[in-house]
Amino acid sequence: MEPLIPEKAKISPFLVFFLVHTMQFGIGILGFQRLIALTAGYDAWISVIIAGLSIHVILWMMYRILDTVNGDIMSANSYVFGKKVGRLITLPYVLYFLCVALTTLRTFIEVVQVWMFQDMSTFWYAFAFCVLAIYIIFGGFRIVTGIAFFGVVLPSYLIFTFFFTFPYADLRNLLPVFDHSIKDLVKAAYQMSLTYLGYEVLLFFYPFIKDPQKSKKWAHFGVFFTTILYTAITIITFSYFSEGQLQKNIWATLTIWKVVEMPFVERFEYIGIANWNIVILPNLCIALWCGSRILKRAVHLKQKYGVLLLTTIVLITINFFKTREQINTLISYTGKISFFLNYVYIPLLFILVLIVKKVKK
Amino acid sequence: MGWFSKQDKVLERETLEKTLKRSNDFKKVSYINEPTNKQFSFWFISTLIDENILQENVLPYLLEKPFEKIEDVKKIIALADVQISNNPSEIEQKLFNGYALLTLESDSHHFVFLAAHKELVRSISPPEVEFSVIGPKEAFVESINQNVNLIRKRLPVKELIVQELIVGSLSKTKVSILYLEGIVDPANVKTVMERLKNIKFDAITDSSYIVQLISDNKNSPFPQLLDTERPDRVTAILAEGKIAIFVDGSPHALITPTTLVEFFSSFEDYFLNWMLSSFFRLIRLFAVAFSILVTPIYVAALSYHYELIPTDLMNTLVTSRRDIPLPPILEALFLELTIELLREAGARLPTKVGQTIGIVGGIVIGTASVEAGLTSNVLLIIVALAALASFTTPVYKMGNAIRLLRFPFLFFAELWGLLGIVLCFCFLMTHLLRLTSLNRPFLEPLYPPRITDLKDSLIRLPFSKQSLRPQTLRTKKPVRYPFNNKSDIDE
Repeated sequence: MEPLIPEKAKISPFLVFFLVHTMQFGIGILGFQRLIALTAGYDAWISVIIAGLSIHVILWMMYRILDTVNGDIMSANSYVFGKKVGRLITLPYVLYFLCVALTTLRTFIEVVQVWMFQDMSTFWYAFAFCVLAIYIIFGGFRIVTGIAFFGVVLPSYLIFTFFFTFPYADLRNLLPVFDHSIKDLVKAAYQMSLTYLGYEVLLFFYPFIKDPQKSKKWAHFGVFFTTILYTAITIITFSYFSEGQLQKNIWATLTIWKVVEMPFVERFEYIGIANWNIVILPNLCIALWCGSRILKRAVHLKQKYGVLLLTTIVLITINFFKTREQINTLISYTGKISFFLNYVYIPLLFILVLIVKKVKK
Repeated sequence: MGWFSKQDKVLERETLEKTLKRSNDFKKVSYINEPTNKQFSFWFISTLIDENILQENVLPYLLEKPFEKIEDVKKIIALADVQISNNPSEIEQKLFNGYALLTLESDSHHFVFLAAHKELVRSISPPEVEFSVIGPKEAFVESINQNVNLIRKRLPVKELIVQELIVGSLSKTKVSILYLEGIVDPANVKTVMERLKNIKFDAITDSSYIVQLISDNKNSPFPQLLDTERPDRVTAILAEGKIAIFVDGSPHALITPTTLVEFFSSFEDYFLNWMLSSFFRLIRLFAVAFSILVTPIYVAALSYHYELIPTDLMNTLVTSRRDIPLPPILEALFLELTIELLREAGARLPTKVGQTIGIVGGIVIGTASVEAGLTSNVLLIIVALAALASFTTPVYKMGNAIRLLRFPFLFFAELWGLLGIVLCFCFLMTHLLRLTSLNRPFLEPLYPPRITDLKDSLIRLPFSKQSLRPQTLRTKKPVRYPFNNKSDIDE
């Protein structure tokens, strides 16, 4: 009983690359370096790679699950637990995506308030952003994917800005390698996995891929690309800052932009943050799309109303997060839920699906 | 029964005659055939027909040669288009399409339609809107027959299909669609035909009406059908597998489906070497970005982000703005509105007066407002350059849309600075993503990304690389001409 998705709403397999990559690459990149360096010192770049590699395993499991049931996560849950329980188990994902949407939007607005406009109204900016998101999602999944595509392609020129650090970089900062315990490395990898979150959206848009088998390599490539970018930025940051310096910078990436100098631009981080709008936008849209999609699948709420409902909730709750501590709590809770869903629930579901498949045969 | 219906038909004809007689250009003239003494008469609208045709090709024969029945008429007159009918409901339509009606007194149920159109045709002139320095100098005129002729001459193959239909309940405008069978996607033809048939409108006076009536999204400032006055351009797109729509009375043909990048390609690009044309296209795209963004960036930078500007540049800006009493946004709006006023006045006035207005506006108002301390001269330069840049768009309607876009950007720049500009850009991007032309994505080949279609979009590769038709059109023959075999060195 899979609802048929019309062919014209489906996307080409290679666009999965952009969907997966853009969802992983969001607000976290602006300031993840300090946290991992706190745990694993300047060996943390190894943790970045470890965490990146672990995702490939999870991604492989996801594809096995989805291939077996030939549907989204809701079909998988129903396959294992039966229809009613399956629906019930999928519903918490709505809450999760609400948290993701809220975190992305609130953190970005916080960055703006810290770096650009101290007295910018959280609500009104969030409102404009949500109207935009609604406009995008109402266009259908193809438009959401289009935003993901441009969200990766248009800001990609920012990569070049990191070259400005090269004259000041000192790779010897990374030495000596392996002066932290394995435990520390794993702990940092755990922290890093929170920054990497987002690839689980695959569980929801899988039925929208034209030829899902072909999309596998693109999904893996997307994760691989993210890992490379994060590793490169980690190494650049570590070679640019000394360990003590880095601890004083919450948004290390933004600080790096301060060295960018051009004859017509002085403070490049302003342009960087403004451009980050385009990076954040697909994250918000995909999260809201997934949330409303589950609502449609589980409780048969029209997706239109689902989107409106979710954005209303986001717009109301965003006003409650005012201080750094509150925002930090929100981020860490979202991270923990995501870690649980990806590293505990997915392997569990993977095993269950395999068992049920054997039993049904 | 037969008798009644015959009687009805005579009645119908008589009521029609009564209505027609109220117009003074309706003529009914009677004559007598000399050999047989039979009386016959003509009905016609004198303003629509060429009376010479009647006088030279019809009347002499009818007066002198004997004829008995209505069928004989066909044999004796020297006219190709002669139709015999007994249906009075056709009369009105035929009369107003330039036919003369011939009736015999002896036979009140049959009558003959004689084609005697008077074609008032303007001679073909060089293109004015899409002027090109090199290349053909023919442009379409208002007569649909002449326009189709211009295309037929360039594509003398039987695959070129012309389908006609009548649109508009009052204007009865003739609309033709042209396509190359065997190349075009039949689904596209079907969609166009259906949309044209579904038009509910009374008077269609130009192809621009059709654009607004059959566009996918009617609430968009962007034109979704390309209009052109160049027969060579229409020929080129027909060969690509697109559809052209001609409307009688309009010197602009419509092209569908189109993509956004097509609006920034001038047809002259194809006459130039590929490197030059690619360069010009990139210049044009830069001009579009410049004309939309530069004033908003000025407003954003001077309202919020002083830190963004390096010290040396800042000095220049501060000096020029030192005595200006207005905030940047009002200053920018004042100048933008002035430019728009000048443009609008120039467009509405006769050419000679228009030139004067241009000089008065450009030099006098500009200099005076700087000297009066209303605007800074830096902004004056910026706004003037932006206006200039907006005129580089080859398609007039697209240029208008781009000029309008500046104002929402200004509004957002005033609201949230650079962030606002990017946010507004995201709105624009979403709008463009959602647009379709004939159900095909408007942003193709940028999104959905199709690398092979990039060969003729932002840049134009040489003809040797253009052997494939655009993928987005789903043509029946994807290959335009055979590939060049790539040979190795010294082979």
